[in-house]
This record gives sequence, C-alpha cells and structure tokens, in this order.
Amino acid sequence: MGRARDLIRYSATRLGLAPLMLWLIATLVFLLLRVAPGDPVDAVLGSRAPAAAKAAMRARLGLDQSLLDQYLSYLNGLIHGDLGQALLNQEPVSKIIGNTLPASLELSVIALIAAAIIGLSIGFSGIARPEGAVDFSGRLYGLGTYALPPFWVAMMVQLIFAVSLGWFPVGGRFPPSLLPPEGSGFFLFDSIVSGNWPALVGSIRHLVLPAATLALLLSGTFTTALRLNLRRTLRGDYVEAARSRGLSERQVIVHHALPNALLPVLTIAGITVASLIGGALLIEVTFSWPGIALRLQEAINQRDYPVVQGIVVVIAALVVLVSVAVDLLVAALDPRVRY
Amino acid sequence: MAAFTQSGCQVSSTSQRITVASAGSISSLDPAQVSTVHSLQLLSAIGDPLYSLNKDGSLQPRLAASEPTISADGRLVTIPLRTDVRFHDGTRFDAKAMAFSLRRFLRIGTLSYVVGDRIKAVEVEAPHVLRLELNRRSTSLEGLLTSINLTPLSPRAYAKHKDSFLHDNFVGTGPYRLTKFNEKQQRLEPFEQYWGDPPKNPGLDLISLSNSTALFGALRSGEVDVLLSASIDEDQRHALNQQAKRGDLHESVGPAMEIGYITLLSNTAPLSDQRLRQAIALSLDRDEVSERVSYGLRRPLRALIPPSLPGGGVAPWPKHNPKEAKTLLRQSGYCQGSQLEVPLTFRSNVPADKLLALTWQAQVQRDLADCMVLKLDGVESTTVYRQLGEGAFKAVILDWLGSYPDPEAYLNPLLSCSNAEGHVCLDGEAAISGSFWSAPGLQTALQDSDSVRGAPRVAVLNTIEELTVNGAAYIPVWLESPRSWSQRSVKPPQYNRSGFLRLAELERVSHQQEGN
Repeated sequence: MGRARDLIRYSATRLGLAPLMLWLIATLVFLLLRVAPGDPVDAVLGSRAPAAAKAAMRARLGLDQSLLDQYLSYLNGLIHGDLGQALLNQEPVSKIIGNTLPASLELSVIALIAAAIIGLSIGFSGIARPEGAVDFSGRLYGLGTYALPPFWVAMMVQLIFAVSLGWFPVGGRFPPSLLPPEGSGFFLFDSIVSGNWPALVGSIRHLVLPAATLALLLSGTFTTALRLNLRRTLRGDYVEAARSRGLSERQVIVHHALPNALLPVLTIAGITVASLIGGALLIEVTFSWPGIALRLQEAINQRDYPVVQGIVVVIAALVVLVSVAVDLLVAALDPRVRY
Repeated sequence: MAAFTQSGCQVSSTSQRITVASAGSISSLDPAQVSTVHSLQLLSAIGDPLYSLNKDGSLQPRLAASEPTISADGRLVTIPLRTDVRFHDGTRFDAKAMAFSLRRFLRIGTLSYVVGDRIKAVEVEAPHVLRLELNRRSTSLEGLLTSINLTPLSPRAYAKHKDSFLHDNFVGTGPYRLTKFNEKQQRLEPFEQYWGDPPKNPGLDLISLSNSTALFGALRSGEVDVLLSASIDEDQRHALNQQAKRGDLHESVGPAMEIGYITLLSNTAPLSDQRLRQAIALSLDRDEVSERVSYGLRRPLRALIPPSLPGGGVAPWPKHNPKEAKTLLRQSGYCQGSQLEVPLTFRSNVPADKLLALTWQAQVQRDLADCMVLKLDGVESTTVYRQLGEGAFKAVILDWLGSYPDPEAYLNPLLSCSNAEGHVCLDGEAAISGSFWSAPGLQTALQDSDSVRGAPRVAVLNTIEELTVNGAAYIPVWLESPRSWSQRSVKPPQYNRSGFLRLAELERVSHQQEGN
C-alpha cells in the first residue's frame, strides 16, 4: 500500500514538473530562434522585397512587437493550447504536427519493434557460451551498429535495395499513384481498418527501407544492453540460489535472469522511442519520409518560428510523457524500485 | 518476398498517370504568395496567365482575347478577355474575376511590390474587358502580364480569402484541377471544361523528394516518369545527361533564365577600389569553372541579362585575363610582397556554389598567387540573404531568377538605387543586394529602359550593362537552364518560354514507339 502511495506521489511530482520543463524548453527555443541569424520575413518575401513591404509583413506577423510582447503572446497561446500559425502559409501549427507526427510515430514504433527483436535475439544468443564465437559476434554487431554513420547506412540501403535492385521505393511514404487512406494518419492502421489492401502493401513497401535502416542502427543498443545486464544478473545471488535449487540453466535464465535483465532494456527502449520521434532526421531526409523531424528541419531553414517552437514543445512533451510512463512501468514490474 | 516487391512495382508501371518528381516541398499554392520555381511550376499547370511568350518574345494571348491596347501616354492598358473560360468550380471567368484576382494580389501578395510599382488601379471596363491604370509608362508590363502569379482565381471559391492566403487549395482556370494537396505530394486531374486543348495524359502525380540522391535514384529505378532538375547535384545531373546521350532517357532543356553571379562589396575598403574589383573579375576563368563544376551544363555568362531577353546575347564583361588582373593589382599596390585577401562567401547548402568557390580559389592560386588570395567561408543561405543588405560579405556567390521574363526583372533588383552618393548606393536594391554600388546616370538609364521599346531600349540596356562592367561590383558567372529527364516511355517534355515544363503535354508512348 505504502509503495503504491509512493508511486503515485512520484508520478504526480514528475507530471507536475513537466510544465516547468516545457516552459524552460519553450523559452529556450523562443530565445535561440530570435538570436539566430536570418529573418522569417526574408524567407517569405525574399531579401529584395522593399523595406515597406517587409515592415508591413512584420507588422502582420506581430514581429514588430517587442521581444517581451512576442514572448508573452507566445506563452499565452501555449497555455491555451494554441501553438500559433506557420509564418509562411498561416497553416495552424497543430495541423502541421497532426499531419507529420503520425508518420514519425509509425516509423519509430515499427523500427523500435524490429530493433528490439533483432537486438535482443542477438544479445540473448551468446549467453549460453559467454566469450564464445556467437557471443563475440554479438558484441561485434553491437559495436558495429554504434560505429556506422546513419546517413551512410541509409544511403547504401537506398542505393542497393531501391536503386540497384528496385525492390523498394527510393523514398516517400505512399505510392503517388494511389490515394492514401483517410483516418488517423497512421497509414498501416488506416489501411487495415478500411480494408484497403493496395494501400497497405504500398505503405509497407515504403516503410521497409527506412524502418529496417533505423532498426539496424538501433538494434546494437539492445544487443549490448541485454548482454551486459544478463551477464550481471547471472552473477546475482538469487540466480545462484535458483541453480542450487536444481533448476536447469535454461529455467534459470528464462525465468530468473532474463526478466531482471530486461528491465533496464525497457528504460532504454522508452528513451529511444521518445528521442526517435524528433531525432530520426537523417533517416527522414534520406528516405524523404514526411515526418516531424523533416518538417522541423524545413521550418528551421525557413526561420518559421511558430512551427519550430510548436514542434519542439510537442516533442519535449512526448519525451516527458514517455519517460514517466516507462518509469511507472518499471516500478510496477520491479518491486525493488523505491521512490 | 519477390512477389511482394514486384506487386508494388506494378502499381506505377501499369498506370497511365504520370509521376513527376522534384525537390523541396510546396508550402503554399496561393498565387499571391508563391515564389519558388517548384510552386510556380505547379501553378502553371492548374492556372493560366493572361499572356504567354512566343518564340520571338512577342505576346501570345492566353486568357486575354488579343494583345493589350496601350494609350498614347502609355498609362492606360486595355485587355480584352476570353469569353469561353470557366473556373474549376464551374463559375465563369470575366473581367470582374480578373479584377478581383489582381486587386487581391496587390492587396496581400508577397510579391505585390513587383506589380504595385506600376499598376495604380484595376478597372472593369466591360464584362470581358479589363483596364489597368499605370503610374508610369512601362515597357516591362508586357512581360509582367505573362507572370503565372497573376493567374485569375474564382471569386466564389476565394470569397472567404479575399484578404488572406488560401495555401492548400486552388480554384483557377488551368488545364488541371487540383484534387489532392499536401506539401510533399499533389494530385492533378484534367479539367473537363478547360477552354484550350485538353491535357494529353489522364492525370499527374507530383511528388517531392527531399534530397538529390533520392530524386536521381527514383528516376534510375523507374519509380518516377519525369524528373525536374532543380536541386539535383552536378554529378548526378551530368550522369543523367550522359544517359540521355546514350538514349536511355529523354533530356529536355528550357530557356536559360537563371543567372549565377558574384557580388562585391563596393563601399568599403579594400574593394571600394574599382581597379581591385576589376582585377577580381578578370581573375575568374568562367569556361574552366563551367567545365569543372557543371561539366559544361551551366553556360559561362558575361552579362547580367539572359540571352533570350531584349538586350541579352551580348558579352560585355571581360574574359579571364590574369595578366591584366596582375597589372591592376600592381597599380593598387599589391603583388610587391603584399597580397590582396578577399573573403569569398558561398551558400553552404548549395553544392554548386562551393565547387565554384573552390575552383576559383585554385585559379587564383595558380595565376595570381603572389598578388591575391581567396579565403572561403560557407554560410547557410537564409543567413546570407539576411545579412546581404548589411554589407556583411566582401564577395558572395548568388543566383537570380527574374520574376518575369524581362530585362528589368534582372537589372532593377541588382542595380536600382533610390538614394546614391557618387558611386555608393545608400538606399535601394543595389544596397539590399549587397554591392552598395551605383553610378551617375545609372538610375536614369534604368528608368529610361522601361519607357522605350525596340532598338532604343536595347541601346539603353547595353549602356546600363557597360556602366556595370566598369563598376565591376557584379561578376556574372554562368547561366542555368531548367532541365528535365524522362523515361523513354514518356514523350520528351517541352518547356515554355517562361521556363516552365508543359505538364499538360506529357504523354506516354506505346511500347512500339518506345522501342524506336
């Protein structure tokens, strides 16, 4: 009972601190964008527009107000759930995020699942004979995927499987000749729900290369994490106790060591998926995947302040939510965790 | 696995629709707002201009019924309009609709200053006759009337957007209707009630891929039918050019309208010395740059006006002459143990700029090592544009594509100056463009060039170019033509005189024709 109360108090504290963290991030992004060289009015009108035209646009966009007024207006909007409008085309930022976030989430989740399956399988496979050939290969694999530059891997995958072999599309998220399924923005889900099989096949074909690349790059993290944690837990007293009770090595590993070794991996997975939402930029750029990271990059280039601010705040909020959720899950699964 | 990958491939290969790929996303489709080549290309398929240009540069009526009538003082322009045109929403096109669109553009258009300087009022003279009242006589107005930015919009569809942009929809008069729009992908269907020739294809899918390798790969793998050249790296452009020469692809080239040039900061030392600027201009070997950087695909340019426009086709800028450059540098006190150091800025996100900078640096090292050195500095383009008018760059590599096909769209943005002291421009386009250079008589000549026609205009334009050559605040480098490549299963694409691909004329060929 006391533990449950502690858990609730901890969750409330974490969630209570989230607005403070989001405020700090929002303020930092607001200030950094303003001190960065480049002017959104130039991005919209071009540098050669007359001063009068620039001034008129600056007034229309509220950029003629003092920095403090702009900041207060921005915070006021944020508090009321209004992320503002894109400077370039006046499209609501929430709509832009709504259009691009599902693409990134779909890619991240699929890649993470694939990475976990590959990485954990390789990490687990060497445990029967530590320092043996399989274990050594697993270590090498883990290190190798760390060391590979993501853009190089992505381009190689693209050149081999899309350009040379022509098995998969070079880029994009959906075949141009088909109409994407309407609904949640998660094309796999929407295609299945609507029974639109050509759309499902098209979506999967476009997803394979970026997801496989991302999975390959991430899987090493899981391999290394599982291997290290499994080796540590296998040295634990409770494992020795299990062995002394006459359990087979397989039972010891599967029922005693593995569940404990997987707990830190769960935390890693949570942090990874949170960071992937905004951090898969190189993959999104290489495969022209219309996700939130690619949109963020475009917005930064265009100095579209509201879009950058909105995307960063939403990503930060997601990171906070996912990390709290992972903490709670770990706490629920591991009775040793105290808060 | 094989069945899965093959089934996907069949989707595109069996469709009669045509997929056109290019780089960059389209953030808005509102003609009052669009300015990128990519967006304008799309607009040219779903909208119509009042006029287009013939091969000889004369006006060809499109939505206009005949050539404009201009009053004796040049301030009243009357444009008769076609009577058989409908908008995509079924409403009729007339002078009221055209006036609605022009007034809206003047009111909210992000490029309205280009028009507003000339057009004082837009009036409806008769149901199908439009009258423009100008602030001054303007020869370049005719070129401006070919601009796709001035395409008419349905007053009914834009009733709620009279004073605001409508970025994700378009209701105009063009040969295609827009049926699906997002920033990365657009779907076009033929407009059944189009007044002109119907499109030769059953529809188009326009897609944006985010990098050059993806675009190149998509064409190579057959995933797209047509590829537009904007943002394709030089090596890949060359590779596609070679493939086209071998007959594996079709290559089409449009009129060269984009100029690449270098701006020199003329109002501060050391480049306030005209001889030094001239020496720098003489140090550039354009032929070598063209060959090394672009494999000859960007033609060397020694003028500010593209050759296809009035006053173009001349080459007043001097050729590469290191000997003469050394003489000028010596006269200014360099080469005798003293080296002129020129910081050269290039846009770090434009690969061709970096290659140009490196090649030129090597030329200077080879020819003028004891007199001059180029120090390279890459800066992201948004920052370059922001700081250009602040005089932040001694020498910077840039490019320019006029908003409409007229010499004024090239000369004014670089040379116009509203407040000059001697050879220094304090206010105006020359300051904004980073040279801060002007010359006595230059502004008058610019105004004169927009008020005369024919041979007298060409003479004035030549005078302007000669003044600019002497000033040496700008160094034209090369000329770029829009290019596109298509699969052999599609007829070779054609460009119009404004540099847009004629999307409505894209057509698949039968297998028999393809084999031939």
